[in-house]
Amino acid sequence: MVEAKAPARGGATVVPFWRNVKVIGVIAQLGFLVLIVAGVGVLVNNVVTALAAANLPADFSFLTKPAGIPIAERAIPYEVTDTYGRALVIGILNTLKVALVGVVLATILGVLFGVMRLSGNWLIRNIASVYVEVLRNIPLAVQIVFWYSAILLPFPPRISDPIALPGGLLMSNVGLAFPALYPTYDFVAWVPYLIGGVVLAAAATLWRVRQLRRNDSFGRVWPFPVVAFLVVAGIGLGLTYVNDKVPDNLTFTYEADRGRGTTAFVVDGKARPAAFVPVDVSIKAATLTTTSQNLVESRQVISGTFRFPLIGKHEASDFTVAFADPAAAAASGLKLEITDFPSVGIVYADRNDNDRLDQGEDIDPQTGRGYGGVDVVMTLTDFNRMLVSDRDGQIRTPLFKSAAAARADTSGESALPRPGTRFSAFGNDAATDAAEGVVADTKILPVGALVLSRAYVPVSNYEGGMRLTVNYLALLLALVVYTSSFIAEIVRGGILAVPKGQTEAARAIGLSGYQTFSLIVFPQAMRIVLPPMISQYLNLTKNSSLASLAGYAELFVIASVISNQTGAAIPIALLLIGAYLAISLAFSVVLNQVNARLALVER
Amino acid sequence: MSVVIPPRPAPVKTQTAGYWMRRNLFSGPFNTILTLLSAVLVVWAGYNLINFVFIEASWGQVWRNMKLFGAYRYPTEFLWRPLLAIGTMLGLMGVMAGAGGRKSIVGSAFVALQAFVAVVALIAIVFWPSVRFLWPMVFVLGAIGYGLGSRWPKSTVKQLPWAWGAWLVFGYLVLAGFTAAGPMTKVPVRDWGGFLLTLILFTGIVPSFPLGIALALGRNSKLPAIKYICIGFIEIVRGAPLIMWLFIASLLLPLILNVDANSLPAIMRAYVAITLFSAAYMAENVRGGLQAVPRGQGEAARALGLSAWQTTLLIVLPQALRAVIPAIVGQAIGLFKDTSLVFIVGLVDFFKVGDIVSGQPEALLITGGVKLETFLFIASIYFFFAYRMSLASRQLERRLGVGER
Repeated sequence: MVEAKAPARGGATVVPFWRNVKVIGVIAQLGFLVLIVAGVGVLVNNVVTALAAANLPADFSFLTKPAGIPIAERAIPYEVTDTYGRALVIGILNTLKVALVGVVLATILGVLFGVMRLSGNWLIRNIASVYVEVLRNIPLAVQIVFWYSAILLPFPPRISDPIALPGGLLMSNVGLAFPALYPTYDFVAWVPYLIGGVVLAAAATLWRVRQLRRNDSFGRVWPFPVVAFLVVAGIGLGLTYVNDKVPDNLTFTYEADRGRGTTAFVVDGKARPAAFVPVDVSIKAATLTTTSQNLVESRQVISGTFRFPLIGKHEASDFTVAFADPAAAAASGLKLEITDFPSVGIVYADRNDNDRLDQGEDIDPQTGRGYGGVDVVMTLTDFNRMLVSDRDGQIRTPLFKSAAAARADTSGESALPRPGTRFSAFGNDAATDAAEGVVADTKILPVGALVLSRAYVPVSNYEGGMRLTVNYLALLLALVVYTSSFIAEIVRGGILAVPKGQTEAARAIGLSGYQTFSLIVFPQAMRIVLPPMISQYLNLTKNSSLASLAGYAELFVIASVISNQTGAAIPIALLLIGAYLAISLAFSVVLNQVNARLALVER
Repeated sequence: MSVVIPPRPAPVKTQTAGYWMRRNLFSGPFNTILTLLSAVLVVWAGYNLINFVFIEASWGQVWRNMKLFGAYRYPTEFLWRPLLAIGTMLGLMGVMAGAGGRKSIVGSAFVALQAFVAVVALIAIVFWPSVRFLWPMVFVLGAIGYGLGSRWPKSTVKQLPWAWGAWLVFGYLVLAGFTAAGPMTKVPVRDWGGFLLTLILFTGIVPSFPLGIALALGRNSKLPAIKYICIGFIEIVRGAPLIMWLFIASLLLPLILNVDANSLPAIMRAYVAITLFSAAYMAENVRGGLQAVPRGQGEAARALGLSAWQTTLLIVLPQALRAVIPAIVGQAIGLFKDTSLVFIVGLVDFFKVGDIVSGQPEALLITGGVKLETFLFIASIYFFFAYRMSLASRQLERRLGVGER
């Protein structure tokens, strides 16, 4: 047996300071801090000297310089001449755009498959298992590229011939477009009603809750505030349509020559783009010319399509189609054939002059390519169309060119269309721009708080409506599908974690299978499921930084472009870290709130 | 008087196909409709997939570029070096598998890997003359390891962590080479690529393991300076996506370390970023394990007179790590998938090779392109390895009883 040492006098042992736990702790921390500070100091010193040596920016002053980055997708007006700071803001908005929509869709899909994995139906259960196992075991990067370059780019039809789905939906290899309601200049008039609606809804909720409590009964609460809000908001919206008027400071410019109109509010003497203004464009009579853009696009070159943008079948009452230089065209055996849609012409080469297209006549034997570059002239009368200006206040259609300008283009030595030449729809010299424009009467239409904008295809892209590019769709699809496979597993685990007795008790008191699930099991599962689910939402947001694989410009993509352009690697890195930490923090605040609300009240 | 109860009829046999189908597929009108609808969907999807894979797809482009997929620009005459590294790795794994038996978790994973290697070896013997003998060599090395492992005493097998460390060094030396000429000619790291690079980056999980443990212990420390610095590191790293860290590492690492940008190859920058990123996640996993160890364990150890370090290293950590092995495997799967992000720093890993191969001029001549074929191939390879790991993780979970109540 070991004899216990008798404590020194009075029971207090004197511990030498080098063995005192507290002292050791303080010394250890000090040592650690010194190490860290020294290490970080050396590294920072390295960076500062390297930056100075390479003459790279180390502050944030570059943010106010013009960016010069073209960004196709933007939620707020943006020009190439805008600042780097604005470009970054657009990046953040684009990240949020894909993340918020993605979170909602991934939750729906994930819950669906999670429930399916527990189905009593063998087939459904296994379909869900395969879905989950396959998708979560393939890298997201592979999935994004798969959706983007293997599915969405090659398979949908080209933009010139989009699939039109009911409800005004258009799908093509450029993306998806659908009609959308947009707020107009009159939206401000509606805002008081919206606020009033919210106030009334709150009042209705209070009243209903009190009424239920007074009568000591159960009942639904939500229909009351919803109805109250809808009534007030609806009346307000109706009133804005009754009292519609165009504000005085709304201006409109229209350059028919370039096919571009701009609406603007004049604020402080400076024109600001006014989004979503409906404009009525009418053209009494005009001679329009367009040059076929390119007749040698596809492998089977037999035709080229050129269309006068925006001119529907019944809007042009009179048209002619002719070569810019009829004599030269006749000499080379070119003929025009027009289908019943007046604004679309198809060019064929009838080489043996038998008025028929024989085998091989579609391709020039020397070059192996088709013929291109035919001018189509159309006389237009009574053109009238209501357009909704775009997000940055511009109306990009119709793309007209005056006849005189077109003639000027082709009157030179190259009057004869040459096979294989690329033509653009517009003249490529300054003379064209200076030529007379088409005279169009344009008028801003008075409208209520919201305007319906429909999507259509004027030339080679969508205009109007809400457009989702193929880049956005590919990224969204990949993120949603990938994340949903993780959410499905979480949901499945959550449902399994609800004690079986709960189900049995619910069935015992006579609830149906659906009622048992929706009223007893699912609410309890939510409590378990939400924390990991929110961390999946965060993952989805962070994963959206792979957007460059789909060509979508979100925060990280824009930041890396800026870093490459300016060399401001350090400030950009700090900004990125800050932005992502802010997003993480926001998610964890939400998570804590939700957790606090859902936590079981325990004694 | 006693009443003799007549014997009950034998229970109806329920194992018939008809009974099973009634129970699992057609139990009620709703389920029947659901079954029929999803059956149509499955048949349609299956038909399209099979039709594409076996009839419509043109696999030639993928098949011709197998060398690129495997090792990218690694010189063909030195292909034996990466394969030797892989073979020795398989051998080490074989020792673990042999020691644990074929039914063990490592064992079954090893068997699956060997099956994969065997298939590749067969293909190599028939079609790829340059690696005709090398792939069988990989298989044989694995088999030798298994044989040794099943014979060696347990005490030898316990030294394996050191062997893995040695293997990392050995693998690097073999891959990089160290002489100007001869069999060990230096191969510049920028030529490493393809699946080889994916595997190399995946080994980043090994150094992240001790780092993660250190961070987790630091985070659990009672000393505020250490604790908050660890928390700061873990949370900042975890707060931003890996792709951003890769990007930052590729830009800033040469500046931070004050070295010439050319002397620090992209692969090393990516490796550092991946390791640190992985360490932060590892720390959180380990912390979960530390919290799961009952306090009494540590207190009992201290009461027995073990020092704080001894308590942590001998009592708490082993129990903590045991509890989080499935989570660590899950993290390994994530890291394996995340290695595909190194394209952002200009590295050509397995995923990026797909991009290159499907963009080659001869690929563009094929009607419809070969994007779908290429990415189906890549996805299936990633799937094979990731799914195999997730199977192992599930087995572990079952064996350790984690997640059971």
